[in-house]
Amino acid sequence: MARVKLTEYRAKKLILGEAYSGVSLSMDSEVLFPKDAHLVVKVDQGIKKRMKQGLVAVDIAPHKIHAQLKEWNKRGFTSFLAEELVPHEQAEEQYLSLERVREGIRLLHGRNGGIDIEEHPESLTESLLSQENVAEISEQTGIPVPFLARVLSVFESMHFSFIEINPLLVRGEEVHLLDAAVLVDSAAQFFVSDGWSDADITEATASHEAEEKIADLQKTTPASLKLKVLNPNGSLFFLLSGGGGSIVAADEAALKGMGSEIGNYGEYSGGPTQEETYLYAKQVIALMLASKAKKKALVIAGGVANFTDVKTTFAGIESALAESAEQLRKQDIKVFVRRGGPNEKIGLAHMEKFLQQEGLLGVVYGSVTPITQAVDDAVAAL
Amino acid sequence: MNVLEQIRKGDSGMVVSGNHPRIVQSILDFDYLSGNTQSVHAIVTNGRRSQKFFWGTKEILIPCYKSFSEIPQSLGARVTFLLNVQSGRRAAESTHAFFAVFPEAIGAHIFAENVPEAHATELISTYAGKKIIAGPSGVGILVSGTLKLGAIGGVDSSQLVSNKLMTKGSVAVVSTSGGMTGELIHAVSEAGRRLSFAFCIGGDRFPVSSLSEVLALAEADPETKGIAYFGELGGVDEYEIVELIRNKKLTKPVVAYIAGIIDESFDTHVQFGHAKALVAHKDESARAKREALREVGVQAADSFPEFLAALGALPGGSEVDPEIDIGPLLARRASILSTREIVDLKAIPTFVEKGKLVEAESGFMSTAVSALLGKQLTSPTSKAFFEAVGKLLIDHGGNVSGAVTSMITARAGKDLVSSLSAGLLTIGPRFGGAINDAAKLWMKGVSSNASAVSFVEETTRAGSLILGIGHKKYRVGIPDPRVSAIEAFTELLPKHEYFTFARAVEKVTTGKNGSLILNVDGAIAALTLDVLAECEGYTQKELQSLAEAEFFNALFVLPRTAGFMAHIIEQKRNDEGLFRLPDSLLFTRPGDLHEG
Repeated sequence: MARVKLTEYRAKKLILGEAYSGVSLSMDSEVLFPKDAHLVVKVDQGIKKRMKQGLVAVDIAPHKIHAQLKEWNKRGFTSFLAEELVPHEQAEEQYLSLERVREGIRLLHGRNGGIDIEEHPESLTESLLSQENVAEISEQTGIPVPFLARVLSVFESMHFSFIEINPLLVRGEEVHLLDAAVLVDSAAQFFVSDGWSDADITEATASHEAEEKIADLQKTTPASLKLKVLNPNGSLFFLLSGGGGSIVAADEAALKGMGSEIGNYGEYSGGPTQEETYLYAKQVIALMLASKAKKKALVIAGGVANFTDVKTTFAGIESALAESAEQLRKQDIKVFVRRGGPNEKIGLAHMEKFLQQEGLLGVVYGSVTPITQAVDDAVAAL
Repeated sequence: MNVLEQIRKGDSGMVVSGNHPRIVQSILDFDYLSGNTQSVHAIVTNGRRSQKFFWGTKEILIPCYKSFSEIPQSLGARVTFLLNVQSGRRAAESTHAFFAVFPEAIGAHIFAENVPEAHATELISTYAGKKIIAGPSGVGILVSGTLKLGAIGGVDSSQLVSNKLMTKGSVAVVSTSGGMTGELIHAVSEAGRRLSFAFCIGGDRFPVSSLSEVLALAEADPETKGIAYFGELGGVDEYEIVELIRNKKLTKPVVAYIAGIIDESFDTHVQFGHAKALVAHKDESARAKREALREVGVQAADSFPEFLAALGALPGGSEVDPEIDIGPLLARRASILSTREIVDLKAIPTFVEKGKLVEAESGFMSTAVSALLGKQLTSPTSKAFFEAVGKLLIDHGGNVSGAVTSMITARAGKDLVSSLSAGLLTIGPRFGGAINDAAKLWMKGVSSNASAVSFVEETTRAGSLILGIGHKKYRVGIPDPRVSAIEAFTELLPKHEYFTFARAVEKVTTGKNGSLILNVDGAIAALTLDVLAECEGYTQKELQSLAEAEFFNALFVLPRTAGFMAHIIEQKRNDEGLFRLPDSLLFTRPGDLHEG
């Protein structure tokens, strides 16, 4: 798996512990703030450049919070964060980030932080931070030792992959994290006890229902199942296998000028069972049937697998195709196949016979034909 | 010496950590088809002592251990690699455990995806530059004709052959993606080139052996004349290639395809299959990397078909593939139980030769039978006879019901006594328990003075089977050698009326069906009656009471107990794990065939 976004609330709670006074809000939470409180309220869903998108309300009065949340909710947002306002000068804003890299943990620091940091990256200083050189780095950056040590230890024990604090205010020994974005390593969830959990992971954009279903399925299997809806009304849909092979197939569609017509990207690999492949294929087929494109095609393609069994996975795909065969025929959708690997011959022969019988046959290629040929044929048929 | 040359010269062997039988079998097939010795020496896994695989068409057991330190020196001395197929969360821990026991080992392949980043960077700081480690994730390392460490190149024997993995060639395949390593290996073989080696770096963010290290291997390898590389958008690995070429540290021709042009079709960057395929900076795009490679002379193709065509321009192409017939490998079927031969079933001893006992020495059986009878055996003939019975009945192979039941029970993890009891409980009218009933029949026949013909008629008309007659395997023309061997005792018995009667019955029954011959139960029953009557002076009445007390079955249970225990102990030593009948051997009758 990859790096996933933690909510700002959880990120700050982990770093600051009890000292953190921010409150996580949803549409129906009833939190009482002192009437004269000066607050900052923001959308907490891992979105970048919130300020520029109007997703942060600075110095908002408590009685106006509900209306603000309602407005954001209309734009599809559901998780929010309220914090006390920290009045400060823009000149005080610093930038700090830590990222796990091959060599260790890379620290970037800038004395001039703020929302325009990306425009002057040359102002940042770079170093490798470790338990041994906290004092040294503190001296160089002016960030107090206790805070730097705390961030590093949380970064390590909570399996952070990346943290960006921007702006960061440093007032002597006192630090304020005005904004914090954290990516955690989802593969390490097992090793994080009493830290973050699934509930703290946030998705930047509301994902498609089909994506959610596949994400749920992914949690139950050691195989790899991924799905991303690109253009719900696209004409070219993919059932791809293998991380690299799937990009090669998608590349070919883009090279043929069909990039914007691609309905979905995704891949199954790592030896999924027949049932898992069936459930995966079902989602892709449903997506394709729902697309409003006039002419559509399904490409089932993948490289020459090392150990994913062609016969088993194809049997799963065939069950899913069989269920929707009538609708597929009605929409005149043909299926274009290229695959190789264990049990290739028997798997391909069965698929060809099946597609023929169901009137869905575009082409069926084995490992002798390049992976891109099935894509070319599908594009030609559109 | 370059590590690859060291691998090609040496006798590379590996330990597998975790369990992935299909990959292990493919490695053994690769070794076998390459004409090498077996490279998988041991498996470190819980819950069993050995696992069954094929070596060619022959079945072998590979020993399993709970930890690396338990691997005996005799096997450990040949271990140079670790194949780590543990889960992501255990991968780092088990890799450290391996190198702690085998500090001199060359390297490893870590198969798991989902290895935490912190574990991966920690592996890098410990082993980078010192060991060759493919992964985390990916399919491993292949040195053609020499070493297959992982699923790389396929797991079907037909894939090994069509990918020409056994032919030593001159093109190195390097890729982050496991699937594309397979695709490239296949493409190289389709292009008429053969591999020097193939290395799947792994699609994770932090592979232990980096691209530069792998390319340095290729550059230093005298067999490698060209490199086929597959990369993806995301990461800055390809700039390492650019640097190596600029600094003349990589001089061999490189053909490359960098996938991910598709990303340009979307408004926002899409997370592709592999963890690091997320474009964060502009220079990590497929197009930028492709162009940077071109500037230093790499043939970085615009499309995959163009890349495939460029492979044909790499050096090599004159290699001759060995002729390999995988027919026998494709036809093999795994046995469902494996055991050793407890006794040599083909070597039947001679008990009586030219009217004289061959071996008059008495031992355990005659003491045991004396105990059963409550009376010492006196005649050397009877002592020798019971010893002979013991020898003949210890075992009759692992196929029989009692042995199968004992073994299945032992494999279910039950103790010796339970397993033995389970086996003994199968002894009855259809298996081994016929001696007593056969003895009763022979006594009835002899005492009634009936002819064999009328005896057979009467018994079968009453609906009874004639126990002691009939065999599944032997028939007229193929006599049971055990029956012939003990029949020799008749030479020492002046009357042997029971045996004569039994043979007369056999003559009648084989007239109907050639397989209805006198079997070993029937022969032993008849001869025991003759021996006890003639050598030990037992009356008909006394013999009758012995039969009622089931004395004759004890003659089977006694020696066979030893045989069952031998099978049980063998299972426990092999410990192949819980037995489950393969689906192909289980016939489930469709519901509509049920009667009523």
